[in-house]
Amino acid sequence: MSETLVFPSLPMVRCARCGRIDTSMRSVCAGCLSSDLRPEPVAGVGRVVSFTTIRRAPTQFRDQAPYDVVVVDLDAGLRVTGRLAADSRRPEIGSRVHAIRAERADTLFMVSEQA
Amino acid sequence: MREVVIVGIGSTPFGRHAGTPIEQLAVSAAAQAIVDAGVDRERIGALYLGNFISGPLNGKEVLAGIVADQLGLPNIPCTKVEGACASGGIAFRHAWMAIASGQCDAAIAVGAETMTHATTAQSTAALNCAMDNEHDGPSGLTFPGLFGLAWRVHAQRYGTTRAQVSAVVRKNKRNGLLNPLAQMGAELTDEQIDSSATICDPLQLYDCCPTSDGAAAVVLVARSMLREVTGVPVDILAAIQTRGASRIAGHPDLCSFDATVSAAQRAFQAAGVAAADVDVVELHDCFSIAEVIDSEDLGLIPRGQGAAWAAEGRTAVDGDVAINPSGGLLAKGHPVGATGLGQLYEVVQQLRGTHPNQVPDARIGMTHNLGGTGVACTVSLLRAAS
Repeated sequence: MSETLVFPSLPMVRCARCGRIDTSMRSVCAGCLSSDLRPEPVAGVGRVVSFTTIRRAPTQFRDQAPYDVVVVDLDAGLRVTGRLAADSRRPEIGSRVHAIRAERADTLFMVSEQA
Repeated sequence: MREVVIVGIGSTPFGRHAGTPIEQLAVSAAAQAIVDAGVDRERIGALYLGNFISGPLNGKEVLAGIVADQLGLPNIPCTKVEGACASGGIAFRHAWMAIASGQCDAAIAVGAETMTHATTAQSTAALNCAMDNEHDGPSGLTFPGLFGLAWRVHAQRYGTTRAQVSAVVRKNKRNGLLNPLAQMGAELTDEQIDSSATICDPLQLYDCCPTSDGAAAVVLVARSMLREVTGVPVDILAAIQTRGASRIAGHPDLCSFDATVSAAQRAFQAAGVAAADVDVVELHDCFSIAEVIDSEDLGLIPRGQGAAWAAEGRTAVDGDVAINPSGGLLAKGHPVGATGLGQLYEVVQQLRGTHPNQVPDARIGMTHNLGGTGVACTVSLLRAAS
């Protein structure tokens, strides 16, 4: 079984008119302004573009600090911002990651085992 | 479009103004600018005020009208503008547009912010309003975090080192010692910077600008009105505003801001000058690595060499291009809504030849003000009057 089936997908949308895939937090397609946006699960696998450790966190996340934020280029061609799981191995730029939780823009990634 | 000149500048010191209401800081800076310009208040046809978070931190809005009232200005349109950390630069550009388009012959742009009275939690929450919180909020990212991400990419791609970035910090802190308006000038060693607390890897404490209160203002007039005022004029060659991606993941390159790149290109084209002509720039160094990225995005330094130039002294007051001789946001301070106008205050002084940290023979000056995660940007090009 491939990892794209094992791990949760990211809940994106696809425009029924022009086919553009984008994040779900929008009322119209930024490509053609159509409001006919359909759910489009996207595999939560990709590579780390960059990462940082947040030590001074916003109030609602204070009890979780320090934590790592990652920017990930998904294999599906989208770039997303997410959180690295506390028990993940340390990433490097270019590390393979996979999502272990994904709701709207709240995505938790884990560094994948080397192939 | 009509030619527009700056004829008056004013500023409070940047730093702590405990107990002083924000509108009083704004009025102090604006009154200075009006007096410096020697302009009849009845001739001022518009006021634009840049502010970001007076609503959440002070419970005060409609600041533009409040400030105009205390200044005794006539019954003119008074407008508050907001573009996060670029609010001041946006106010300036709107004042420029009002005159350039012929709506009025004179206008004033004011920027103001008070932040030091708030708790860290309050100011962090307020500043985080400058993000696309639907997209970037759930990750727990902060503004220092954004520049931690950028630094890591810059280091990996160009080999930028801690010591090179520390040269930016040391230069700006040292420049700040010479600026009477600066909040945190200092003579720092690499060891002091290296041993300071880590904020967002690899950003450390001295890589971050302080929390500040302050206000700054400029008076602008049409060139045709110059004979009616007494302030020493500085020509506005370009006043550009652009938009970039609203979310972190919208940036194709994490160590470049599209809004800065396009604003600089348009400014140089509008002004008919080249990057090599710029003698002095006040740019948006909210973090040390931001100065490196900004200087490259503006086309002043070849891509990837921003930190190396600082380490070689090429961005010092007597270097190839003087960057942030005021001390920049790192040392002068960053009262968010006032910052863009504070930059103009500094560059006008440089082009008048009256700056306390004067760049020799400065003829062409530049300002760069960046808001949010790169969603808003203003760039201006100014020239000393011949």
